Amino acid sequence: MSRQVRVRKLNKSTSQQVYREDEIDSAEYKALLNQASYSVESGVEKSEEKEYHLQAALAASSAADKDAEKEIPAPPAELSSDIDYDALYTLVFDKPATYIRFSQTVEETRGCQYDMTTEDDAFLRAYNQKRPVGSKCSEDDFEKIMEVYEETADVQAPFASVDGTVIPYDVMRSALKQQVDEKIQEFAKDVYDHWRASRQKSGNHPLQPTLKFEKNQEKDDGDPYVCFRRRDIRQTRKTRQRDMQSTDKLKKLRKELEEGRQLIAMTLTRELTKREVLKVDRSIFEQRAKVKEAKVRLGIKTDDEDLINQRVSEGPLGTVSTADRQAPQKRKPTDITQFQRPPGAPLRIPGRSDGRPLDADLILLTDLLAQKENMLHVEIEEKAAQHRKWNQGHVDLTREPLSPVDRQGLETGFRPATAQYQYLMTPPSSVTSESFDQPSPTQENPEPFVFRHSSPPEEDQPQGQPAYRRRIGRNGRLWIDRRGMSSKSKFVDESGSDRWKYDQDDDDEQSVYELDPYDTKALRFRATIPLPPHLLPQRGRQDSAAAQLTRPLGTSPANNRAIAATQQPRAPT
Amino acid sequence: MAGGSQPHDAAVGSPAPKQMGRATVDTLKTGCIAMVEKDGKPRRAEILSVRDVKSGRQFYCNFDNFNKRLDEWVPAARIDFSQDVEWPSPEKPKETKKASAPVAKKTVTQKKAQKRPARTREASIASEASTPHPWTEFVESQKATPDPEEEKLTLAMDLDASPGADDDDPMDVDDAVTNAISAKNEPPEQFSREEEIEKLRVGGSMTQNQAEISRIRNISKVQFGKYDLFPWYFSPYPEVFTQEDLMYICEFCLLYYGDLKSFTRHRQKCTLQHPPGNEIYRDDYVSFFEVDGRRQRTWCRNLCLLSKMFLDHKTLYYDVDPFLFYVMTSRDEKGFHLVGYFSKEKESADGYNVACILTLPQFQRKGYGRLLIQFSYELSKIECKLGSPEKPLSDLGLLSYRQYWTENLVEILLRYNAEESGKDRTSIDQLSQELSMTTLDVEQTLQALQMQVYHKGEHKIIIPTYLIKKHEAMLEKQKTKPKRTIDPSRIQWKPPVFTASTRTWGW
Repeated sequence: MSRQVRVRKLNKSTSQQVYREDEIDSAEYKALLNQASYSVESGVEKSEEKEYHLQAALAASSAADKDAEKEIPAPPAELSSDIDYDALYTLVFDKPATYIRFSQTVEETRGCQYDMTTEDDAFLRAYNQKRPVGSKCSEDDFEKIMEVYEETADVQAPFASVDGTVIPYDVMRSALKQQVDEKIQEFAKDVYDHWRASRQKSGNHPLQPTLKFEKNQEKDDGDPYVCFRRRDIRQTRKTRQRDMQSTDKLKKLRKELEEGRQLIAMTLTRELTKREVLKVDRSIFEQRAKVKEAKVRLGIKTDDEDLINQRVSEGPLGTVSTADRQAPQKRKPTDITQFQRPPGAPLRIPGRSDGRPLDADLILLTDLLAQKENMLHVEIEEKAAQHRKWNQGHVDLTREPLSPVDRQGLETGFRPATAQYQYLMTPPSSVTSESFDQPSPTQENPEPFVFRHSSPPEEDQPQGQPAYRRRIGRNGRLWIDRRGMSSKSKFVDESGSDRWKYDQDDDDEQSVYELDPYDTKALRFRATIPLPPHLLPQRGRQDSAAAQLTRPLGTSPANNRAIAATQQPRAPT
Repeated sequence: MAGGSQPHDAAVGSPAPKQMGRATVDTLKTGCIAMVEKDGKPRRAEILSVRDVKSGRQFYCNFDNFNKRLDEWVPAARIDFSQDVEWPSPEKPKETKKASAPVAKKTVTQKKAQKRPARTREASIASEASTPHPWTEFVESQKATPDPEEEKLTLAMDLDASPGADDDDPMDVDDAVTNAISAKNEPPEQFSREEEIEKLRVGGSMTQNQAEISRIRNISKVQFGKYDLFPWYFSPYPEVFTQEDLMYICEFCLLYYGDLKSFTRHRQKCTLQHPPGNEIYRDDYVSFFEVDGRRQRTWCRNLCLLSKMFLDHKTLYYDVDPFLFYVMTSRDEKGFHLVGYFSKEKESADGYNVACILTLPQFQRKGYGRLLIQFSYELSKIECKLGSPEKPLSDLGLLSYRQYWTENLVEILLRYNAEESGKDRTSIDQLSQELSMTTLDVEQTLQALQMQVYHKGEHKIIIPTYLIKKHEAMLEKQKTKPKRTIDPSRIQWKPPVFTASTRTWGW
């Protein structure tokens, strides 16, 4: 078959346009169809693929004409004419509202495994006619007995049909004794005779037709009636390791069974104890009733406190030793089980605790609130820290950059200068250095972050309490902003202060004190100046900030004074 | 498809001499091919078995090109003895004929050629056998069947592979026979039978083995619930039932009885009113139950025996443990009545999502089959797998699946077609994902419906007008009478997981 066109291979993932037949030229479509010759696998076996009715039906479904015979003829099923369906299927089904879950097997639902036949029926009728009225053998009894016979025969002589073994009555009787009521055993002998006769008639095969299962590999293979063969189980190699595994499994099983047994035993003990407790309670109640009666009779008028169960909350708890207190949950069950527990047997402590420990503290709302707030703080700090981390090493080279986010660090806020005096009055020790953090304003009242568009920030706050803050300016310069500091310096206009900004030499020179060195204020301030940071290496940033504060104070005349401090590496918090 | 190949095949048949001659009721024997009346028309039929009943001699006939389910016992009156009968030819070397086999059969011939050495050796063994077997090659295939009686029964009965249905040309017969043999001889080779059993041991439920398939129906009539069923194929119920005119099967536990008294007694005791498993789907029309072959061995065996009567290729060689059975039931005040089922391997190496699928005959042609099929794909969807039914499909199975695939593909493709340009494209992969069908099934359905074309250097999918019309008609019909479908939201099912210990059906 030669094709006019070389067809590109159709890939499964090839995207294909979908058309309706009327969307393309019909002549073209016809041509295309002729040209495409696919061999379609139908999935039906080759020899059956050509069957007349199948082909007719396939042709009918793929053709437009509706007259074509579409159905494959098959022997029909019909409604049974000679059947009393309702008599056979008597049970009425009550549909549950939920989906059915069911795991019983056929054997469990069919009742007695033996179903009597017409011959059995004839025998039983004849037999019952001979019996006195009071002791007739019912069909159920008969089947029960037959079931035992068949079962016993099957177990004791599985190859009866081959070797002709007939289980003697004595054996059957002993089996019967275990399995059926005393009452119906009077029929046993007669039914046995019938059973025996029936068995003989059928060549000592089981009386009920059974499927043929495999018996002999070679002979069975071609027998169409042999079905449901076992798929032979793969032989597992016997190794030492496998032996060990089996041993371990058995041990584990043994242990688990033993544990289960003990659990049951303990449950029994517990329930017995509960019963004891109830009994005692009852007797107490009765005794109290007597007491009350006596009281009424004798006219004793006291409160009836002793007649009701006192709460044992205070008394015993007060005397409980700390060791006991550590295991308050264990106490109760051990106390109860101890007196009947067999010695040596391991005690399993129930995993479930019976509520909170007795001496558990009340949970206070304030604690919860504090905890919540703490968590909030922590979170905010974390976020802030993260922002700092992102911004670390960021150098803004634009001319007039956005200032960093306000209150970038803990130290960015103005902190009241006065507040620190109190702490700093005594020479600070390394231990107390942490305390600076706590009163810091950023922590006390975190304000929402605000971007500011001009640097330096405008001072809109009224000048009142002296305060200062540290911030990082362009090129990493460190700024100390002071506010409300009383200073002798006169008003300096912006241009003037600006001039100083770039005067870097200033730092190295000793400038003139503009303050009166004997001013008490200045003296007091100087006294507060902590040691320089290099002398206190373990000090945190707070102190170094404070230390830097001294220099501009001492050197610069201006309130807003830039310090070209050697870039202090900002330790990531 | 069918029409095309017919004349071609008819043209080739080499008219080898065939023993022709008149026959009488007494001389007509197994293996003969005679003209037998079927549905009022004479039709070539092969005699597969002969029996004597009270009313006289009867012949079990397999009709040329009809499915085996239409095989039947025919009284002598329906056989046309005025025409010549083909006698089963005695031993005859067929090699020459095979060499001149038509081109169309090339693949088959080649495969046969590979196996030829083994076969000739066997042929010589076969010729030593005392009884002259009419169709040697077929006999060879029956070697695995040691029982001579069985051999006779299954002997030489494969005419259903012959080509044209309406060609009564006797000249064509030989070719038909050859085809049948070459087509069928392949699987039942002794080696491949063992192979097949080995394959079945680890999975699957279908057989192509002739020794298993070519059996004469053994149960004549079954009372099941309210219905009388007439079995289509052989089923290995206990052999005593073959003598019964009527077999009784309990509708709920599927136990089988030959004796009415026994059956009545059983019905008085049986408490089962639905399949013994968990209900995993329920709407106002049907319910589905999941039944584990391992847990419910008896019930599932019974189900398999029952379904074997209507499934030709189903094999019951091995036990039901590795299968799960999804049973569809309809409800009434008596309980949940078995309507159909499909079985599914717990672990399918070939990715099948259905092993056997059957709607009981009394419920066929009511749309239950498509519900079963849809349910099987819904389960695959939940498993996030693509699925396909186990092969070979039966003729009815093929039709049902084709219909389901076609309807769903057309629906999706029309949806794509309605999209604005740019989005109106799809791929086989995409279709397969949407329907949980394997790509192979999608591809082949598209091809079978002649939707896949290559046009202007591009592969395209074209929806034929008649399918669009059919689809619209269906939509129209649904307005008045809604089509039954499975509502996936009502499925309460998780793919079952089998631990090593529960998987010890072993191999």
